[in-house]
Amino acid sequence: MFRWPSSRTAVVGIAIAVFVVCCVLPVAYLLTVSLSGDAFSALVLDARQRGLLFNTALLGLGTALLATVIGAPMGLVLARISLRRKALLRLALAAPVLLPPYIVGLAWTYLGSSTGWLSALSGRELPLAWTHSLPAAILVLSLVFYPVSMLLTEVAMRRIDGRLEEAALVVAPRRRVIRRITLPFAAPGVFAAALMIFVLSVSEFGVPGLLQVRVYTTEVFTAFAALYDFSRAVVLALPLLLLCVVVAVVAAALLGDRLVASRRSSGTRSVRFDEWRRSATAAAIAILLVALALPLAVLLGEALGARSLGAVLADSGAAMVNSILLATTGATAVVSVAVWLGYARARSVGRLGQGVDILFVVLFAVPSTIVGVGLIGLWNRSGPFGVVYGTDAMLVLGYLARFIPITALALAATTRYVPVSHEEAAAVSGAGWLRTMRRIVLPQMRLGLATAWVIAFVLVFGELGVSVLVAPPGEATLPIRVYTIIANTPSSHVAALALLQIAVIFVPLAALGAAVSRREAR
Amino acid sequence: MLTPSRVLPLHAVIALALVATIGCRSSTPPQDADRTVTIYVSTDRVFSEPILREYEKRSGVKVNAVYDTEETKSTGLANRLLAEKARPQADVFWSNEPVRTLVLKSRDVLASYRSPNAKGIPEALVDPEGFWTGFSARMRVIAYNTNAVKPNDVPQSIFDLADPKWKGQIAMADPRFGSTSFHVAALYALAGDEKMDDFFRSLKANGVRVVDGNSVVRDLVARGDVKVGLTDTDDVNVAVENGQPIAMVLPDRNGLGVPVMPNMVSLIANAPHGEEARKLIDYLLSADVERQLAQSEAVQIPLHAGVPGPKHIPSIDTFKPMTLDYAKAASRVEDLTARLATILGL
Repeated sequence: MFRWPSSRTAVVGIAIAVFVVCCVLPVAYLLTVSLSGDAFSALVLDARQRGLLFNTALLGLGTALLATVIGAPMGLVLARISLRRKALLRLALAAPVLLPPYIVGLAWTYLGSSTGWLSALSGRELPLAWTHSLPAAILVLSLVFYPVSMLLTEVAMRRIDGRLEEAALVVAPRRRVIRRITLPFAAPGVFAAALMIFVLSVSEFGVPGLLQVRVYTTEVFTAFAALYDFSRAVVLALPLLLLCVVVAVVAAALLGDRLVASRRSSGTRSVRFDEWRRSATAAAIAILLVALALPLAVLLGEALGARSLGAVLADSGAAMVNSILLATTGATAVVSVAVWLGYARARSVGRLGQGVDILFVVLFAVPSTIVGVGLIGLWNRSGPFGVVYGTDAMLVLGYLARFIPITALALAATTRYVPVSHEEAAAVSGAGWLRTMRRIVLPQMRLGLATAWVIAFVLVFGELGVSVLVAPPGEATLPIRVYTIIANTPSSHVAALALLQIAVIFVPLAALGAAVSRREAR
Repeated sequence: MLTPSRVLPLHAVIALALVATIGCRSSTPPQDADRTVTIYVSTDRVFSEPILREYEKRSGVKVNAVYDTEETKSTGLANRLLAEKARPQADVFWSNEPVRTLVLKSRDVLASYRSPNAKGIPEALVDPEGFWTGFSARMRVIAYNTNAVKPNDVPQSIFDLADPKWKGQIAMADPRFGSTSFHVAALYALAGDEKMDDFFRSLKANGVRVVDGNSVVRDLVARGDVKVGLTDTDDVNVAVENGQPIAMVLPDRNGLGVPVMPNMVSLIANAPHGEEARKLIDYLLSADVERQLAQSEAVQIPLHAGVPGPKHIPSIDTFKPMTLDYAKAASRVEDLTARLATILGL
């Protein structure tokens, strides 16, 4: 006799089905149709390519490390130190992630050029070699990506059981409690963020290209852009994916499952570190000056030199509305699927769980052009598929393909902080799984879900690689419009367009942040 | 146990509804299904968009355009056309340089169409088989900073850049992409591998800065970060019009010839709107469009005789253009991509 599957099996099953169709199939399709025996000869990397791969590894690791060094302490500050106007401070500290990395790189080159601000202030020409270097690329990317670490660390810090810290404080000083109790318990969130930043950095070739840093990602791009050889591009992407696997495995080995037991009990209050308020405020202001105020001031300075912006800004209204609508839909769809995948991952243990983590990382690291070409191959055909192709739904499918894996990884880290015992208690009391999720689990993940949505919104809003391949003719998102306009426009216009893009993404998020803050205050 | 009403949580239903709503917003207005044309454009949007808007106004045909981005110059759209080959969505491809068009021709993405408006365009710039037609050309130029380079010192040939006196003062875009890939392919085709390999080794020894676009080259020169750079006429003109200290020379006008890059327009094989596509191609090849592109900041040189050229650019009959077999040059792209990556350490 047929029995309906349990609600948990059905919901997680649907999420897995969406994940397979959106994320796995496009890549698998391209692998199947384009790989031939000859293509694998490209896997034998020459000395130059090995050097590029090494550069990429340095860029990824350096950025993950520096962004964590900046972001994780700020996460601790936001979670455990009482500060005035904290909601505003959080919003400001998170704002750099809204800046497109390429635009921050551009601001950096304006700043460090021989006629830039730094030269003017120091009274001598700066060595251009330093402006255009690997450390500069690491710095630029870290200043953009550190909010990811900050937000996920804050979420983790807020979920730690205060009783453990209180007990430790009886026998140990605060610094030691932070080092031995607080930070290890926050580690899943911190590591998930670092992994996310690593993959974002190694996928990036706009900033390295601008700062003349040679990276391996450009090899994959070249196979597409100069040779139109899909097969070679897919094969050349494999070492990049392998690099991500290695880092994910090392991260998993370092982290293990020892921290999954970290739980916050209701009714306990986390330990505060308010005596560090002054130095925390100073650090936050310093970060804001370098990561937000400086790039914005440089862009503003450039934009003010524009003679006429009318022609450039004309007709951007439709693209603006389109982008906000698509980013809202895309982020909501991504989080709606990723939350169940993250839940399933968090509740699985052992090698299966670690394998899923690696799959998430690898799929997120797949170059966007491969995803885009795979989506075209899969959906551009007659019949029901053809109805979807050529509509905005392709953009949403592209966002799902690109960002479900990384959002699921982040939400898995968040789910780990929700005790399994809460679900068990609910089940014993007779609550169904859906009710338990709605009333017990998801409310405890509220902050994590909001953070994941904001990060997904930002990623979706700025997505270009897939969008440019699948956007319906006649329509464009704001980033596509900006990037197709900036060629052959003066740098002042480019700066003005960048500021417009930042404003468009910042305003709705600020309004959302303000609304959430008001609700929390009530 | 699961019942149908409990399958999906509320927010998932909302998300799916949003996806469905957005998905149903087809980009093509259904009432204009017969009066629509789709064009993929790799010519800079600031120059091409007004031309297409004007066509919409004049013809009443809805033009759905997909533009290339700075990051994927001449590459995103070619890849899209290749990926869509089995079921084309585009009707017309308007390219800003020859190499990609010739790649697409070799992969059977294009169809033959001989426009009546191609009459008057030099034969060398029209494909004898009709797969592409050239119009409004740009040139590769040497840009220099007018504050840093005296008029007598301005290099007149790209081979002058091998002189050690330019050490640390030269910029060029990555030669694997865009119009620079066409330029190097043309140089190798005309000057030979040995001479060009030596030249690029000299550039490497001179510390040439290989950047990610011609507009970046222009900005480096205009800011004085380097004294000279290889770029395109339209890039330099934008900075000149903006009052920046930059000027350009047409290189090798007495030697190999000045590299001339026509725009190319092609009909897509099995185009969904073939009739409208042919009409749009006719329009793009008209003298009127060449006039508009010449008078815009694109400063492109008209190929039809009698069309007035841009004000700061010499007309094509006043210098020696490179005489080139475009197909032969394009066939070298794969080989040169690997060769230059090694020589320049890219």
